[in-house]
Amino acid sequence: MKQSTLSVLVGFLLVIIFGLLLFAYQVRQTEVAVVTTFGKPTNDRTAPGLYWKMPWPIQKVYKFDKRIQNFEEDKFEETFTSDKKNLLVRVYAGWRIIEPRIFLQRFANGSVQEAERTLEGLIRTEKNATVGKHPFSHFISPNENDVKLVEIEQEILKSVQERAKGNYGVEVTFLGIKKLGLPESITQKVFDRMKAERDRLVQEYKGQGESQSIIIRATADRERDGILAQGDADAMRIRGPGDAEAAKYYSVFEKAPELALYLLGLNALHEILKERSTLILDQRTPPFNLLTAKPEAPAKK
Amino acid sequence: MERNIQKIGLVNLWVLLAGASASFVLARLSASFAGQTASVFIGLGFLIAAVSYFQMRLEARERLERLEFDELSKSRGGSALFATEEAELFAARRAREQFERFIVPAFTVFLFLLQAGGAFLLWRWLEKSSSVKLTEPLVAMALFGLFALVLFLLGKYSAGIARLEGQRLLRPGASYLLLGAYLCFVVVASVAAVEAGFPRVDLYAARALCVLLALNALETMVNLVLEIYRPRVKGQQARLLYESRLVGLLSQPEGLITTAAQALDYQFGFKVSETWFYRFLEKALAWLILLQLGALLLSTCFIFMEPGQEGLLERFGRPVEGRQVLQPGAHLKFPWPIDRVIRYGTQQIQSFNVGFIPDPEKEKESTVLWTVPHYKEEFNLLVASRDSEAPVATTGPEQAVPVSLLTVSIPVHYQISDVKAWATNYSDAGQLLEKVATREVVRYLVGVDLNEVMSTARQQTAEVLRQRIQDRANELNLGVKILFVGLQDIHPPVKVAPYYEAVVAAMQEKEARILEAQAYSSNQVPVAAAKAKRKVLEAEAYRARKVPLAEAQKARFTNQMAAYEASPTVFSARSYFQTMAQGASESRKYILAATNTQDVLNVNLEDKIYKELMDAAAGLSTPGAK
Repeated sequence: MKQSTLSVLVGFLLVIIFGLLLFAYQVRQTEVAVVTTFGKPTNDRTAPGLYWKMPWPIQKVYKFDKRIQNFEEDKFEETFTSDKKNLLVRVYAGWRIIEPRIFLQRFANGSVQEAERTLEGLIRTEKNATVGKHPFSHFISPNENDVKLVEIEQEILKSVQERAKGNYGVEVTFLGIKKLGLPESITQKVFDRMKAERDRLVQEYKGQGESQSIIIRATADRERDGILAQGDADAMRIRGPGDAEAAKYYSVFEKAPELALYLLGLNALHEILKERSTLILDQRTPPFNLLTAKPEAPAKK
Repeated sequence: MERNIQKIGLVNLWVLLAGASASFVLARLSASFAGQTASVFIGLGFLIAAVSYFQMRLEARERLERLEFDELSKSRGGSALFATEEAELFAARRAREQFERFIVPAFTVFLFLLQAGGAFLLWRWLEKSSSVKLTEPLVAMALFGLFALVLFLLGKYSAGIARLEGQRLLRPGASYLLLGAYLCFVVVASVAAVEAGFPRVDLYAARALCVLLALNALETMVNLVLEIYRPRVKGQQARLLYESRLVGLLSQPEGLITTAAQALDYQFGFKVSETWFYRFLEKALAWLILLQLGALLLSTCFIFMEPGQEGLLERFGRPVEGRQVLQPGAHLKFPWPIDRVIRYGTQQIQSFNVGFIPDPEKEKESTVLWTVPHYKEEFNLLVASRDSEAPVATTGPEQAVPVSLLTVSIPVHYQISDVKAWATNYSDAGQLLEKVATREVVRYLVGVDLNEVMSTARQQTAEVLRQRIQDRANELNLGVKILFVGLQDIHPPVKVAPYYEAVVAAMQEKEARILEAQAYSSNQVPVAAAKAKRKVLEAEAYRARKVPLAEAQKARFTNQMAAYEASPTVFSARSYFQTMAQGASESRKYILAATNTQDVLNVNLEDKIYKELMDAAAGLSTPGAK
């Protein structure tokens, strides 16, 4: 008896649970639901709560996230600016379902992936069109006032909103440029230019160093030479009076100029020979003439 | 009663067929792998039930035939009827025997092929299937649950009848009904697990069932082999060749418990199975399990929010008025699935990175250099460049543009400040915040100069970025507070980085050159000053020396003049020789004593002639040399 009571109880509970699963459904505060009866949309549930339905396959419930969903373009796409410059732009966008019934009809089983694929195509078209209207400086410029990224984002968003309005059951709420880039070939050239800039700076610094070094050295040389010249001049000025005073005593040489010159010559010879020198003399040079002649004293007269 | 058994067998047959078809269709519609595999088992159960039902009918006919024969033999004892062959008299028995001899083994071989082939094909199919995307999971759970219930009730009834009345032919169908019921429960559990966020459970359950099917095939093959060598005793009823012991064990696990109880009895030496505890357990086990499930459900009424967490309370999906956000602590709520709480770590600091993908291996490196990649992936971001404001106006892919490239690594730390906004405004607020942060970094960099952002503007950049991300997050009502934006790394791309280092090296070289020149200057000027001073002093010395010397020369000449007048020749010669002797005493002298003036003498004055050598060679090698 007890066993059968248990079986009945378990059976009853299971029937209740499975019955609830078939006849009831919840819509959360973050969801909206569309109920179809034999495939025809019959009810939209936008408020959260517990609802009843006929079991599948009579009625079917499609639930969608009613929050803003965001997605990013799969492709980092190259496009042209108005001043004929290549640019790669990737955007992201936020969208939400505002008409669940239309959304369900437009996309198979209300597929979010399919909706995002469709929106991506729309956004890519409008993005490329908008980028083509703006010069490169509106995207990148050292002058911040020239950059118009926010305005460009708004332009793309407005175009996308107009296109999507009423057609897809969704609303695109915001759009942002997530990434900007350059094609690989241009990127390489940018690298080359950056290298060249750095190289220019290297040469500039080296040149500055060389230049300043030369100037400092030349200045030092000039100062040194000036000081030495001044020293020479001062020395010369000092020597002059000494020479003049000494000259007064040289008048005595005029009394026997030949002897004076002879003695000055000998004096000079003595000074020269004092240094380490090499003399090549022949036997006729006195007193070496004595080497060949018999050494005897001259006859007394 | 006999008619009743056949009816039950027929019902089992049709229920298994209906169950196999319905579960297969439902499993296909809901895309449940486990469901589709389970339907194969139920389908095989249908085939076995069909064969056993046919065998049941043959046996019934045989019994009827025997009864008729007995009746006739009583009423017409010794008539010509008994003269006929036995085979002609028992056609039904012969048909049953033929069936058991040929059809049953053939069917068992066919069953083995189906099981083995099914296991192989299902395994290959499951190997190719990787992702589980269920459609209408709640409907699938409900219907599989109902199937399970129906199969279970009918299976239990049939198994009971088969056991009580010894109806062995009812047993295989009953076993497959029960197995089908359990497998449907497994499908319900796997679908629930997928819904709970474990998407691969369905696939794993399907693979497990596939292995079970393979084991079943193995058992069938072993049964076939054993059947060949089985001793055949006349009158002994043979076991059904196509009946699986494995399926019987799985469908009636209570047999296992009985076996275990018997083992315990044997092991302990007394009747454990007759103790009050064992009997209580036997009776109350089902209630205890039910109670346990009830307690489990009741436990969902208590919620303990951990420190740093906040939870959103929903009742039938609606926010609960006045208790929408649960703070840390204990809370009561209605049981699942009426009330549901979604937890968020609002006080916990969460973070993400902009501009790079971290590499755990490279994070261990102690030195971070511009010239060596230090992340798994570093993105080159465009930044304006004043150095190249005059772009080369060419078209085509090779055109120059006034930009530079920069690598940044920016960690962003944030907290959830408004859990309701965070949870209900966006489907993935965290991912959106990352996009917003990246967008603000890109937007900031395209309007500033590369060199500024890397040097003077670096400090303010982090704060500007933090403020911009916060403003944008507020604008989107993300419900976050940006705590920190760091400029962990900001440098030119790795390819260009060595050239930036070369600039710094050049700056150092410049300084070195200037310092060298300054050192030269510092040396030359004071030395020159000293030299000049020396010249002046020498001049002063000259002047001081010159006058007395002239005076002395005057006095000496006066005396020399007197000597000269006294003996001009001797004075001159004496003066000459005195000069030569004194002056040339230190000089090296070569005296040519040769008289033959036509000879050419070569004297190498470069060679240093040592004194010793001169002494040794005197008068030998060089004539006249001294």
